[in-house]
Amino acid sequence: MSTLTPMPPSQRDRRPSAPTQRAKAIKRGYKARLRRGDLLETIVYFSVAIVLALFLADGGATYFLKINDAITGLGIVTGLIGSDLLLIMLLLAARIPVVDRTFGHDKALALHRKLGKPVLYLILAHMVLLMIGYGISQGLNPVAEAIDMIFNQQDMSIAFIAMGMLIMVVVTSLVIVRKKLSYEFWYLVHLLSYGAILLALPHQFTQGSMFAEGTWARWYWMALYVGTLAAITIFRVIVPVASSLRHDLRVSEVVIEAPGVVSVTMRGRDLDALRAQGGQFFQWRFWTPGLFWQAHPYSLSAHPDGRSLRITVRDLGAGSAKLLALKSGTRVSFEGPYGLFTEEARTTPKAVFVGAGIGITPIRALLEASNLAPNEATVILRGSDPEDVYLWQETYDLCVEKSASLRVIVGHRPRGVHTWLSSEAYGNGESLLTLAPQIKDSDLYICGPTPWTELVIRDAQRLGLKEHQIHAERFDF
Amino acid sequence: MRAGSAFLAGVGSAAIVAIGWQAGVGTLVSSLPQSQAAASGATTAASSSSGASSSTTADTSTPAATTAPVASGIADGTYDGAVVNTRYGPQQVQVVIAGGKISDVVVLQTQTADRKSEQISSRANPILREEVLTSQSSKVANVSGATYTSQSYIQSLQSALDAAGFTG
Repeated sequence: MSTLTPMPPSQRDRRPSAPTQRAKAIKRGYKARLRRGDLLETIVYFSVAIVLALFLADGGATYFLKINDAITGLGIVTGLIGSDLLLIMLLLAARIPVVDRTFGHDKALALHRKLGKPVLYLILAHMVLLMIGYGISQGLNPVAEAIDMIFNQQDMSIAFIAMGMLIMVVVTSLVIVRKKLSYEFWYLVHLLSYGAILLALPHQFTQGSMFAEGTWARWYWMALYVGTLAAITIFRVIVPVASSLRHDLRVSEVVIEAPGVVSVTMRGRDLDALRAQGGQFFQWRFWTPGLFWQAHPYSLSAHPDGRSLRITVRDLGAGSAKLLALKSGTRVSFEGPYGLFTEEARTTPKAVFVGAGIGITPIRALLEASNLAPNEATVILRGSDPEDVYLWQETYDLCVEKSASLRVIVGHRPRGVHTWLSSEAYGNGESLLTLAPQIKDSDLYICGPTPWTELVIRDAQRLGLKEHQIHAERFDF
Repeated sequence: MRAGSAFLAGVGSAAIVAIGWQAGVGTLVSSLPQSQAAASGATTAASSSSGASSSTTADTSTPAATTAPVASGIADGTYDGAVVNTRYGPQQVQVVIAGGKISDVVVLQTQTADRKSEQISSRANPILREEVLTSQSSKVANVSGATYTSQSYIQSLQSALDAAGFTG
């Protein structure tokens, strides 16, 4: 039973003021993003359900009538779900625009990494269970069965090679993350995973019934494989190449901001069409003899004005130092823009921006791009010494323009205490709450070194900020 | 993921799996013990009607015409192919020639070593039959995922066609 309560006339007639309209627009955008995210997640769950359904529709349940057949059946199911999730992993890393705009590039890749180990275990289980299951039905022990598969069964030898490659990809990925091996090595290893998937395909045709004629499974798997291949080709190859050619980006100016820190400005055609926003990053490739073979991810340090793009880079890796020597007119190709460290990620009208070191430069670009009412934003910048507060003057000017309060914390962090503040600020009892009193109902944007970022996030969570309010850009791949 | 959406995704996934189960439950019922007996009874009947001349266990038995003797060219009638043994079980087909054409192919025995083989064969055989009837020869492509069934089917069929003097 429900009763309708008419709205009092006074309330109905009142026109919403500009700030509430803005708040509503932000809320609408946030809700739309949530819906999109839920939809994409649902698709992932459905894909696993469809795989199971197709297996059952093809009489898969009959495997589970006898114990040795059940091992075989389980081996088939793990293989099917493993393949399905492996292709989803590829889709997560395929730079599909809707995925980036919904979850952000870093979260999509975090999920990609999280799936790595389970997928490996599923496919390993697939191999071992079928070695046992088929072994029993042929009266062979699992090892003898594996040898029989490799030498006597069509396409199984390359399927075993594919398994080896997949193990190598996952293991090296884990080692690389831990030991910080070079980006180039990581890239080469990841090319192996494409090889593994290609080598594993033939046995799915000849031994399995994923592509069996006259089944629905055939259409599902064909669509998934072709769709994944198309997504990777389009978004990782065709779009970046076409975009680089179209915009014909060239270095126009290199400015030294501080010792070891340079800003590179690039000009090109129709840059508006990129729809890049302050806070986003690109993979850049500079076409000089020393640099053309590697691409580096750098964030924009200014909101694009339609004619030029600017990045600010500190002398971190091997590539950064060579940027100093860039001549104007050098051709630049790029992939991007990527990332959801943008105005689009907003959930409320108020915002707090926290940046440290070179992480200040994306914060500066984001601040420039943000639509802020006066006194709704707080900017907190941190550096070990005054020279570390990069693009200080520009950021100061932006804060004045947008009537945002600006807090600068300079000095080394105290020893023995886990804090993101300088020892002086820490000693004075400063905290996120004292520096930005409105933080509890603000969006919090953080950009800096990963351990420092984690400390800011820890403090924010202690204050009760929800996950959706916290936006952190992590500089890892 | 929000709770409401997670609930919907869960219910949807369960529904998808249930549909798959419903579609496959027929296969499950037919492979339960009692219906298996009925099915094997039918197989026995089929093989006895095809004539007792071919031994179902001898793998090199010469193909034998069950009706008209091979006199001149293609005679109408049914011809049994050789039994071809594979690691998943033997396969034997019978071809029916009518009006100088292949009018039907009947499977006398097929791979049933385990449920997987049974399933693969029961899926592949009808496809192979269709292709043979269309192409009017044994030169048809393997059914993917059913290499052993396809090859033994084609081999047995060819021996039956040879016996009939059928050259296509």
